[in-house]
Amino acid sequence: MIHAYNLTKRFNGHLAVDHVSLDISRGEIFGLLGPNAAGKTTIIRMLCGIITSDDGEVVIGDRNVEKAKAGFGYVAQHFGQYEELSVWENIRFYARMYRVTDEQWLLHLLDRYQLTSFKEQLSGSLSGGYKRRLALVCALAHDPDVLFLDEPTAGIDPVTRKLLWDDFYALSAEGKTLFVTTHYMEEAQRCHKLAFLSSGRIVAKGSPDELKEYLGDARVFRAIVPYKPELREALLGTEGLMLINQFGNELRIIVAAEAAKSHLEEIITTVTGTPCSLQTARPNLEDIFIALTREKS
Amino acid sequence: MLTAIIKKELLQLRRDPRLVGLIVVMPLIMLILFGVALKLEPQNVKMAYVDGDQSVFSNLIKTGLWSDGYFDLYEVKGKEQIIEEIRSGRAKAGLYIDNTLSLLLTENRQPHIIFYVDGTMPSLTTAMKYHSKNATSDQVTGDMYFSDPDAENVVIAPEPLVMDTVVLFNPDEKETWFFLPGVIGVLIMQIALILTGISVVREREKKTLEQLLVTPVSKSTFIVGKIIPYIIIALLDFYFILGAGWAMFELPQPSSHALLFLLALVYVAVMISLGLLISLIAKTQQQAMFIAIFIIVPSILLSGFIFPLEAIPGTVRLISSVIPFTYFVEIIRGLLVKHTQFVDLLPAYLALSGFVVVFVGASILKFRKTL
Repeated sequence: MIHAYNLTKRFNGHLAVDHVSLDISRGEIFGLLGPNAAGKTTIIRMLCGIITSDDGEVVIGDRNVEKAKAGFGYVAQHFGQYEELSVWENIRFYARMYRVTDEQWLLHLLDRYQLTSFKEQLSGSLSGGYKRRLALVCALAHDPDVLFLDEPTAGIDPVTRKLLWDDFYALSAEGKTLFVTTHYMEEAQRCHKLAFLSSGRIVAKGSPDELKEYLGDARVFRAIVPYKPELREALLGTEGLMLINQFGNELRIIVAAEAAKSHLEEIITTVTGTPCSLQTARPNLEDIFIALTREKS
Repeated sequence: MLTAIIKKELLQLRRDPRLVGLIVVMPLIMLILFGVALKLEPQNVKMAYVDGDQSVFSNLIKTGLWSDGYFDLYEVKGKEQIIEEIRSGRAKAGLYIDNTLSLLLTENRQPHIIFYVDGTMPSLTTAMKYHSKNATSDQVTGDMYFSDPDAENVVIAPEPLVMDTVVLFNPDEKETWFFLPGVIGVLIMQIALILTGISVVREREKKTLEQLLVTPVSKSTFIVGKIIPYIIIALLDFYFILGAGWAMFELPQPSSHALLFLLALVYVAVMISLGLLISLIAKTQQQAMFIAIFIIVPSILLSGFIFPLEAIPGTVRLISSVIPFTYFVEIIRGLLVKHTQFVDLLPAYLALSGFVVVFVGASILKFRKTL
């Protein structure tokens, strides 16, 4: 449904997006995962045709971007609706931009996103979560086949985030293709397909499960150890070490296959003064994400 | 804390090089421009004349008027044409000498010549009246005494000839008649440039433009849609200000309401489309405001609104001719004060329409459907 070939973009000589190719099928929720400044927004803007690429091509459906505009919706990272207009005025305005005049349909959307009681309220006075819903309704006013969402749940509470994701699945089930950028692992985990973006390049692609294979024969260990700066220092010298990550009292270490578990345990025991035994853990997306980002940079 | 705030403000300013450029370079350009352009003393003010006498005496009078370079004389046929030349704006003054000049002079019967002067611009009128005295100075009239001073019972007139001054169009030389029509144009210019000047750049700053650019809306629909509401608002404003002028300052009625409406429509369209172009060029609302101000100030000073165009030297006059307000001033004074005919105002109307085409065209070219 969305095909991008060799998308490339430079800003003042700096290569922001480096030959990115993507193929996204109909009905798929595709997540573009990457740290800040990796080029996620630049890619989504190029896909939507509001930034011209220096090289490469975008095809949506079987049309070029300008021709495809009537068939996709876009929700920018920042609230881009008119704050001086009411919720309903904004929705009607965007509907008219796509020649949609069916008010019943718009009222249905309003209801679906729990905005009916805010219909006459000025959109500038809405809370963050409702602003996001309004933006989504405006992007859905013309019932597009494709939806581009730039960090759709950034700054949104977990309850609203879950509601939004339930809705994304519903939209996907209706046959719509969703393109989502994110840096939340939890959100990435929910996508059908993912691409990891690091410094403008795609470093890994696939379903969340397939991506976990990217660690190859590297192993993930965990142990309950409180954070100690000296411990980090001591472990950094270890051969084959790929990642040290602290979650509260949980320490996660990713190492190459050849690294000796006993050696790591020894170091931890010496530094903390308490005997330590490492447990083998399943790699999660965050492990992969950080490991891949590190590796490439 | 105070120094921190001062420093932050200065740092922020410095990060907008275009704004710094506008603040530093534009005043310099204006200073030089106005230094060169603004002279209160005009030169080569056009004067249409009829010389029915074609004598050595009438030549003396004309030479007197030429002498200090203030007036630039050209010949027309008949008294009515002198008035028409002034009405159309081709001339600011006129001189009528009938065919009895020599005869009456030689018979010492004190002939009259007529000096016509455009009263639209009272300051210029006063200056023209002052310079017209060259026509009857002693140097000119010295050789025009004909009776024998020794003869008895002959009363010699103190002056051999008399010049009658006729002030046309604004006979009472009311300053309001001169200023108010132009003031309407200035107000509309300010309202239009500021309103429209921020219209697109505001959407850019508030990030609503990004959301609009992904819609299938075409460039021309966007531009025209941006222009029309402001044209209506500015048009209503035009008549509101004009109505207030009529009610409070006895502003004269126009020779044609249809032509006045046409002027309002075209002028408002020029200013709104110029405002839109500013909005597309400016990167921030602040820049847009500055550009607008730097258009408004020279418009006021170089358009003939306050200072006569005749006082602006030739090269700078080219700038006057690319200022839309110049044509507005010409037309509105023509309609309200001088009742100039449409044929004579047509070039100014066409010039204003040309600006609309240029500004709208440039806006469509400048507007990109990308960020």
